[in-house]
Amino acid sequence: MVTLASENGSGQKLWCGLWRWLKGSWTDRTVLLISLAGILYAWQWIHAEAGAGPAMVEIYHDKVLLARYPFPEPGKSIHFDAEGELGISGILIDSEGVHFSSSPCRTQYCVLNGRHSKGGEVIACVPNRILIAIKGSHINGSHYDAIVE
Amino acid sequence: MSRSIPRPSLPALEQKATWLSLLLLAVSLHVFEAALPSLGPWFKPGLANIATLLALVLLGPSAAAMLAVWRVIVGSFLIGTLLTPTFIISLAGGVAAAIAMLAAWRLLPGITLIGVSLIGALAHMTAQFVTVESLFIHQQALYYLLPPLLLLSVVTGWINGGLAAYIVSQLEESD
Repeated sequence: MVTLASENGSGQKLWCGLWRWLKGSWTDRTVLLISLAGILYAWQWIHAEAGAGPAMVEIYHDKVLLARYPFPEPGKSIHFDAEGELGISGILIDSEGVHFSSSPCRTQYCVLNGRHSKGGEVIACVPNRILIAIKGSHINGSHYDAIVE
Repeated sequence: MSRSIPRPSLPALEQKATWLSLLLLAVSLHVFEAALPSLGPWFKPGLANIATLLALVLLGPSAAAMLAVWRVIVGSFLIGTLLTPTFIISLAGGVAAAIAMLAAWRLLPGITLIGVSLIGALAHMTAQFVTVESLFIHQQALYYLLPPLLLLSVVTGWINGGLAAYIVSQLEESD
């Protein structure tokens, strides 16, 4: 019981210490609130801007729109080679989403970024200057959100 | 006829030594972050910013600004990204964060290192996106990525600010 009490005491001390160093001042909390409000408003606005209509994949190199595809039906896929600054980025679109399948860049962050399928999502390969943007929100006619279809 | 070299005062030497120690800390954290497995595209926890915050409190605004710039230059040299797009993006983020933090520190009454760090993290992320959009990608759709990353910046900025405040208090206690 003594050990338990002392463990509880040290745990409480740890939480008090953490709270002391992370609570911030009223000014900090006001800055936090304003920042969160601004970010959530921007997120909502972007969702509304990019999320209307059927989902389309747009592939850009710099300012040039290279291709624009709807998501294909299940079982089918589209492969597109986008020529950028360093070479060719392979892009694969299927009914599940779109992703970089290959890239000439050193870091391969764009390939590791994986598959995306929601309206307003973006994958960019900065070294090769290729950008994939998903506009719209409906994939193959259905529109799911967290609660209902 | 021998000319004696003027010796700097002890406080000036101490200040230079502190600045160099903070630069070493910042560069180490910069390299450490580069070696970390990616926590997601475009995202790093911004630990190196803790050194800028410490410089702001211990040495003043101009030393903090210089530290932010030199940290990116030396860190990029060590990880092999000097003068690459990564370097330009890092430098833009570092300079913007330093300017925003200095302005917040001077202008917002009652702000602590936590609020300053939060503002720095937001400025860092936003400046990186503006740089990428204006110099490399030229597509405004890129900003679709910004809000979720800003949310993560809020979290990391707050925690880094808390860590910096803790370190400053420990340094003050030991003096």
